[in-house]
Amino acid sequence: MATVPARSRIVELMKLQSSIFRTTHNPSGLRIGTAILASRLKGSSVASYYPPRIGTTKQLRALYPDWAVIDDKEEDWVESLNIAKSRGKGAPKKKRTAAESKKFQKRR
Amino acid sequence: MSQFRAKKLDLGAYVNIRNIRDHTKRKVFMANEPERQALRYIIRNTTFPQRVRAQAQLQLSGMHCYTRFTQIKNRCVMGGKGRGIFSDFRLGRYQFRLNALEGNLPGVKKASW
Repeated sequence: MATVPARSRIVELMKLQSSIFRTTHNPSGLRIGTAILASRLKGSSVASYYPPRIGTTKQLRALYPDWAVIDDKEEDWVESLNIAKSRGKGAPKKKRTAAESKKFQKRR
Repeated sequence: MSQFRAKKLDLGAYVNIRNIRDHTKRKVFMANEPERQALRYIIRNTTFPQRVRAQAQLQLSGMHCYTRFTQIKNRCVMGGKGRGIFSDFRLGRYQFRLNALEGNLPGVKKASW
């Protein structure tokens, strides 16, 4: 018949076990927050839920500076700007000084 | 809380303000997770002096709500829906159905018996 080992022996075994598996030795069962320390950080997996924005024209241009990356939308925009400018409907020139600014001129 | 939001759009797939907000919350959570866990550890560890633990409690409750995991919600990546999301596919139920029938989801097939 097997005899029950002494408590001191069991504690010794637990100590050895925790040293082998690198866990905290806490025989008296104190609340020392071990579970929080041992838990893994889930932030990186949480933050990668949405797919990143890749393959934008800017990224492609930075990656391949020798190649001309054509952006249809940008070209349309530049073209419409040029047409507006040629018709004299472009954006007004930037006022650099207060004197140039219309805001400070007297209205008649 | 737009102070956390990326200055340039960094989200692929479907974009609406709720998805952007959730994405921002996720990034803020990731940045603050170690600090939160450290404070939680101090609070739960009964061997620390009571004063220290109370201070940690105050500090944790004073942290911005965006650093909290409970603020994060799984949303549909392709349609922006907030309810009925299959978290394995990150899709709402209707988007899941559409994509599954189209054969975009490997291993998913319509059951029939």
